[in-house]
Amino acid sequence: MQPRNHRILAAGEVVRIRDIGKAGHVRTPQYVRNKVGLIDCYVGLFENPEERAYGHIGCEPIPLYRVRLRQNDLWPDYVGSDCDTLVLEIYDHWLETVNSLEEPQ
Amino acid sequence: MPERLITDIGGLPAEAIPKEEVPQLFWEKHMIAMFNVLRSKGIFNTDEFRRAVEATPLEEYKKSRFYDRRTDGMTDLLVEKGIIDRGELTSRTQEVLRQGLLRHATP
Repeated sequence: MQPRNHRILAAGEVVRIRDIGKAGHVRTPQYVRNKVGLIDCYVGLFENPEERAYGHIGCEPIPLYRVRLRQNDLWPDYVGSDCDTLVLEIYDHWLETVNSLEEPQ
Repeated sequence: MPERLITDIGGLPAEAIPKEEVPQLFWEKHMIAMFNVLRSKGIFNTDEFRRAVEATPLEEYKKSRFYDRRTDGMTDLLVEKGIIDRGELTSRTQEVLRQGLLRHATP
């Protein structure tokens, strides 16, 4: 199923997780905001939990992605391997595409 | 900028996580059953439930346990939706507690 008004990002695209400053129930934790990573995969279209949390059922489904981030980018004192990553699910409106993984975070 | 949600604790300093197995109590099983029925009947959805739990005052949240939060979140939603009356729930709870105490008082 294709969303009506949405882009679909491809696996491998470089994205920054935005900090959209939205109050209320959101599913994007603080520690990944403004971080740059890669689209791991497109998961599908789902109703926005930020709407459903207030009883708004049946809104147009929006794309959900798995985004892969480097642990070293998340935690300044990370002592594990440079190859260690974290994958988490992020909705489309929290993502912007950027040119490179080395974008300032 | 909105405040960090009380559930959004990634990266914050924290105490060690206790890893021992805790037996599930009878009332906790009941509560989960009730929760699952209400959710599957569409009385509330998971996102509403999370939003309700996130509305818990921070100090209360820290003191509460998993099943307490679930019970309170579920109750708040049922009150919000006009399905139960908070005053009625409180008086029924007090009555149940009183009955229980009476039974324990008689040898």
